This record gives sequence, C-alpha cells and structure tokens, in this order.
Amino acid sequence: MLKTPFFLKPNYIYQWLAAGVLFGLMAHANENEPIRTQYELLFSKIDSVNYWTKASKNTTYTLEQRKQFLLKCYHSIKANRTDTLRTRKLTSNAYQHLKLGDTLLFKAHNAEALKLATTLKDSFAIGDAHWNYATYYVNNEAYDNAYYHFNMAQDYFEKIGQLSELAYVQYGMAFIKGRFKDYTGSEVLTFKAIEIFKKTENYKSLFSCYNHLGNLQNDISKFDKALFYFEKAIENLNKVKNNNNLRQAVLNNIGNTYLKKGDYINALQNFNALLKNKHLKASNIENYARTIDNKAYCQLLMKDTTNVANALQEALDIRMNQDRKSGVVISKIHFAHYYAYAQDTLKAIAYAKEANALAKDIRNGRDYLETLSVLAHLDKKNSAIYLKKHIDFSDSLIVIERNIQNKFTRIAYETDEYIEETQRLLQQKIWIITISSILFLVFGFSIYITDEKSKKRALLFENEQQKANEQVYLISLKQQEKIENERILERNRIAEDLHDGVLGRLFGTRLGLGFLNIEGNEKTKNDHVSFLNELQTIEKEIRDVCHKLSDNTTSSQINFSSIIHNIIESKSKLGDFTFKLDFDPAIDWQHINQITKVNLFRILQEALLNILKHASATKVTLNFWFHNKKLLMEIKDDGVSFDAKQKRKGIGIKNMKSRTEKLNGKFSIVSKHNKGTQIIIKIPI
Amino acid sequence: MAIKKYPVLIIDDHPLIVDAYKTALKYYTAQQSAINFTIQIAENCDSALQLINGYERKGKEPGLVFLDMKLPPSKDHKALSGEDLGLKINKLFPKTKIIVATTLNDNYRVDSILRSINPDGFLIKNDITPKELIQTIHTVLTDPPYYSHTVLKLLRTQIENNFFIDAIDRRILYELSTGTRMKELPNILPLSIAGIEKRKRQLKKIFDVSSLEDKQLIIVAKEKGFI
Repeated sequence: MLKTPFFLKPNYIYQWLAAGVLFGLMAHANENEPIRTQYELLFSKIDSVNYWTKASKNTTYTLEQRKQFLLKCYHSIKANRTDTLRTRKLTSNAYQHLKLGDTLLFKAHNAEALKLATTLKDSFAIGDAHWNYATYYVNNEAYDNAYYHFNMAQDYFEKIGQLSELAYVQYGMAFIKGRFKDYTGSEVLTFKAIEIFKKTENYKSLFSCYNHLGNLQNDISKFDKALFYFEKAIENLNKVKNNNNLRQAVLNNIGNTYLKKGDYINALQNFNALLKNKHLKASNIENYARTIDNKAYCQLLMKDTTNVANALQEALDIRMNQDRKSGVVISKIHFAHYYAYAQDTLKAIAYAKEANALAKDIRNGRDYLETLSVLAHLDKKNSAIYLKKHIDFSDSLIVIERNIQNKFTRIAYETDEYIEETQRLLQQKIWIITISSILFLVFGFSIYITDEKSKKRALLFENEQQKANEQVYLISLKQQEKIENERILERNRIAEDLHDGVLGRLFGTRLGLGFLNIEGNEKTKNDHVSFLNELQTIEKEIRDVCHKLSDNTTSSQINFSSIIHNIIESKSKLGDFTFKLDFDPAIDWQHINQITKVNLFRILQEALLNILKHASATKVTLNFWFHNKKLLMEIKDDGVSFDAKQKRKGIGIKNMKSRTEKLNGKFSIVSKHNKGTQIIIKIPI
Repeated sequence: MAIKKYPVLIIDDHPLIVDAYKTALKYYTAQQSAINFTIQIAENCDSALQLINGYERKGKEPGLVFLDMKLPPSKDHKALSGEDLGLKINKLFPKTKIIVATTLNDNYRVDSILRSINPDGFLIKNDITPKELIQTIHTVLTDPPYYSHTVLKLLRTQIENNFFIDAIDRRILYELSTGTRMKELPNILPLSIAGIEKRKRQLKKIFDVSSLEDKQLIIVAKEKGFI
C-alpha cells in the first residue's frame, strides 16, 4: 500500500535557496521575476537543538565547518537515550543538514529519524520528518513527492493538534496545488491555514497566505479579487516589523495585477510609488530591476515609448549581471514587444527567439509559451509552426498538470487509506498481541498446572513409596517376629521334651542303676559311683540347656537394639571405622511405637550412608538416651565436615529432617571444621 | 515291734522312676524292718484320682505319696497336673505325707508348690541320688520335712531378700519371664493393664531396677530367686 517516498528520482540537486525557490516558481506565473518573500515561513521550525546546532547555524563559519558541527550534533544526539526528545532532535538535525545543502546526510538522518519516530509512535516527530522530506522534494521540484510528504505531515500534525505546524504544512500544500492550477484546492487549503494563523496571530504568515490568494486570483484573471487579497496582505504586513522587502513584493504584485487588468494608470502609479523609494536600488537591486522593467512595459502598453528602451535595457543589464535567467527571459520578451511596437520586426523576432531559447533552457513553461505566441505573432512566415508548437506544448502542460492534480488526489486518498491501513494493522496487531498473550498465558498456566500436578503426583508417589517401604519393613518385621515366635515355641517344645521326657527317664535310669548292687571289686564299685555321678552331671547339663532354651525374655521380641547393632556393625566393616554403641537402659524399646523405631532406623541408615560416602570417618559414636520424656539419638563421626548452613541440603539430610518432623521431633545437625558431624534427633514419646 | 503298714501311692508317668521309687522303698524296708509298704501306682491323673477316690470311699488314707508334678492331665480336666492332685490329697487326707519329686526347678514354681501343697518332702529330681532318696523317705516318715539341695538354696535366697511380694507379683514376674506379652496379661491375671503396670513399677522399685525394660527386672528377679 505504502508508496515508496522516492518514486520520483530527483534529477538534480539544487543548492539550498530557502523558500525563495517556491516564490520564484510562483512569481513567474505573473510574467515577472521571482519574488523573494520571507525565508522562514514554510520551513521555520522549533529548534531545540543544542550548542552544535546553534554553531552550525552561525553563518560566520564556513559551510564545511557548519556541516562538521551538525555531524557532531548528530552524534551527540545519537549518544542520548532513545526517547521522543532524541527523535525530535534528530529530525531537526536532519533539517539543518538540508539547510546546509548536504542532501546525502539529510536523507540518511531523516530516514533514521522517521524510523525511530515510527517505533516510538511519536506523531510529532513523524510529521516533522515528513515535513523535512517535503521540503527536500520541493527543493528538487519533485512536487508530487513533496505533496505526498506534506500530506503525511498534515495528517500526523492534525492527529495531535499541532496547529502552527499544521498551518505551515497546509500552506505548503496549497502552494503546490496552486502551482499545478488546482486553484480551488489551493484556496481551500490556504483558508484552512489562515484560520490557524489568525488564531496564533502569525501576521507574517497571514501576509504570505493572502499574497498567495491574490496570486491565485490573478491566475484565474479575477483581478479585483486579487487586489482585495493583496490589500489584506498589506494590512497584515503592517503589523510586521522590517517589512520593506515584503512590501515591495506585494506592491509589485499589485502593480502586475493592474497591468494584467489593463488598468495601466493605476499600474503605473503603483510602480512609480515603488520607485519613489530612493533606497530601493541599493537595498534590493533585483526588486528595482523588476520594478523598472514592469514600469517600462506598462508605459509601452500605454503606447508611451519615452525612455522605455533605456529602462528595459537597464533592467536587462542588472538581470544579466545577477544571472537571473528567468528575469532575463522576461526582459527579452518585453524587448520583443517593444521592437514589435517600434515596427522593427527583425529585432523583435531576434529577442523573442533568444527569450524562447532561454525559457526552454531553464524549463520555464509559461515564458516558453509566451515567447512562442510572440514569435507566432511576429514571424508571419513561420507563424503556423510556432502556433502548433504553442498548442502542443500547452496541451502537454495541461496533460501534465492534470496528471499531477490527479496524483495529488490519489495521494490524499492513499494517505488516508495508508493511515486507515496502519490503524487497521495496529488494531490487528493489538488483537494479535492480545490473543497471543492470552494464549501464552493459558499455555503457561496449563504448563504450570501440569507441572504442579506432576510434582504433586511425584510427591504423592514418593509418600506412598515411603509408606509402602515402611509397611514392607513392618510386615517383614512382623514376619520375622512370627518366625521368631515359632522358633521360640519349637525351642520350648524341645526344652519340654528334654526336660520331661529325657531328663525324667535319665533320672529314673540313674536311680535304677544306683539301686543296683554292683558285684565286684572295689574298682568296679568306684566306677559305678562315678558313672552315676557322670549321669547326674549330664542331667544337670541337659537341665541347663533346657533352661537356656526356654529363657524367652531376650528373644521374645525382635530386638531393636540388636538390629541397630547389626546395622552399625555391618557398616563399620564397610567404612572401616570403629564404633561405639550405647543404649540408655531406661529406654523401654518394647513400648516404643514401631513407626518411631522404623524411622529412627531409617535415619540412622541415611546418616551412616552419608558417613560412608562423604565423611571417611575413623570413629562413629551412636547414643540413645532418654531425657525429659524425649527419646534422643545422637550420631557422631570424626570425619570430614561439611557446610551445614548451606542452603541446598542434600536429599539425605532433607529425608532425615522430614522423617524427624513426621514424628513431631527436632532435627539438628552440626558440622564443625575438622571435628566431624553430629546429628541429634529428639522425639517426644 | 509291730509292723507298721504304710499304704504308698506312687504317681509318676515314668516307669523307670516308679521302679526307682519301688527299689528305694524296698531298700528302706530292708533297713527298717518295722515298716511294710503297700504300693499302688498311678501313671496319670485319672488313675491317680481313681486311687484317691478309692481310699476316700474306704475311709482310709495313704500314708505316703510320691507325687510328680508333670503328669498327663485327667480326661475331665479337673486335674491338670500333680499340683492339683497334691491339693486334693492335702484336702482329703491331711495326715498323708507327700513327697513332691519334680524335674521342675524354676524358683517360681518351686515357691508356689511350697506354698500351695507344702509337701513333707520336696525333691528336685536332679538333685538326688539313690542314697538321698532313701534318706528322704526316712526323714519324711520320721521327721519331715526333707528338701533337696535346690529347694533349700531357694529358700535361703528368699530369706536373704525379705521383700514383700505377693502371689500376683510373682505371677507377673513369672509370666513376663516366659515371654508373655503385656497385653495378654489381663487375660491371665485378675488385673487391668494399668494395675499390672503399677505393680511392675512397684516391683522395679523393690528390685532397684532403673531400666524401663522388663528384661532387667526379670533378670534381677531371677537372680533373687523369685522366678
């Protein structure tokens, strides 16, 4: 949609001539020399640039120096933070480059400024950058490009209500429209600008606007109306100081209007009034040349040839000297008219031809047409050729003008469309961002939830696993106990059998043997007695065995202390450390909850694992004691210490802690440098 | 010297022991010609009860009873061991002399037998020799009681530790020593768990045991001869 701003390539680059160029172009419509009105009207800007900008504006420096200052200024701006102030400074900087005629840097910096402003959505800076472009294209006479940028600038300034800038831009557009004979359009824009300038009491600009309106009316031969606007222009001019140049310009315009209207007396009067100013020649030689030329032409039209040739010659000389080519063309046309009037057709044709060639050379279409019609009138032999040339050229001019007018309309339409499109795109962007952020949020949330769920599941699983582990442990414990009980029962049975059966029978046998009267020598009798005694000893031994077998107290329960002893013993062999195990006899292990015992066992396992893995201890002490209705377990080693305060604790320590907390107990771990680690578990019973 | 007739009841399930008793009695008769033993034998509670009831019906009483503690119980389960028989004999025939001969030698049982049956002779089978058996018969018949070595030792330790421990305390200690669970005790004793615990605490105080575990208590009680 967006048409590239460079669709018309600038054919050549003018030296900066400020607004004079515009007025010059405008003035030739009056068959007159370019009128230099104020420089600052179209392009004056709010300059808030820093020291370098000021320096670059200082005309006492050379052009090169000033360009250097501007570059420095640019870099200092670049070094600043990215904000609206920076972009505005950038646009101003670009404008200064333009002013100094460095179009390459101008284009680079302005493009950068526009890009930055677009990203920052700084409407003022965007408008400003477009205004800069418009100015640049006006300089290059690429009016359609210029119009496009004026239009963009207008839209942005209008959007943010930047009135004074808006008025300037509208005036610029009005000027271009007038240049291409869209008089109505130009008038409408000028009135819009006037409205704003009236509010801001910008009399200088008001003067320019009315002057422009007067010229427009001139172009459509509404001379009375033109004179009315010129009067208004003068009214506003009276409120401006240092208005001499402008006053001369408007007076000249008035004179021209009268001249065109055919009111030669008034025209002459005007020119004479201008010439009354003795300082005119000294202060503005071009204006002076224009005035005397106009006055001479006016006299000629009044068929008064007195001093006309001299005056025309003076004007021509001045213009030749100043190298004012368009002025030279006009002078030469006037000479052609003069010689035609003086019946010197040859000279007239010669001047007309010179003017024609020059007009063609400087691409001044209006003057070119004028010279063609003069030539057609003078050169009767070639009249048809000139006429045809005239018709062709004016037709082509009309076509070009029409095309350009159409282009303006298109540009206005396309700009509107562009802005609509940007708005639409913006809306779309907002929608996309909103929807995508919502989607992102939903997605993120769902990920978060699934993550939490899986974490929870993992936790639950771990919990269940732990429970299952404990259950298995308890079950195996019970199983073991059962087996142990069976064993005890079996042992008791054996003991009973021995005791009641074997022992009884042995006793009976011994008694029976004892009552036997052994016949024999003394040795046999002694042997008999000693065998009996031996039998009694055997009985006693069997009895002792029975007692031991039926002594159930120590093995009636799976003994916690023996389990502890077993584990620490096996680990000590693994880790090659000695151990000291001490149980407080005051602890009644039988009455301590199995869960507590299981957890204590697990904690001990974990601690021993840590000792095996990390501590490389040589001695481990394990103590159980009872204090203040609390069961305490202490595991101490003399191995390598670790930082107990570190935030990320190992899973082992975490496990020990959580197990202790499950039993409403307290877990403490102290690890001193080179003094090993001490873990104390305190569990309320 | 008139021959004194002594009906003797031997209650033991070991024929060898019964023979030994018989031999001993024969030896004794050989030494003391004035005594004539008439021996009857019961190998279990039922036959023992039968014989006892027979004496009762005839209005007679046995002079001497050899009583084993461990016997096959009666079919009607009225008599489960020699202890029950002993009690019955004591009740029916107060003059009858009883010699308890048992392989049991744990202090509690010995003590409880002493208290319940109060036999005239108390023999731990392992202690005795044929000679001692004859001596027992003699002492019981002439000047009871006769206690064998182990029983005497027990009595001595009890005298040394003159604690005030009643039957229930003993029972508690005994049950614990055999590995009975605390929670099973109320089914065995006429006491609640709390009551048993209270007695246990008292016992631990008496035996000067600081440990909360019963093991220590039992060990001490055993040392002191209470079980």
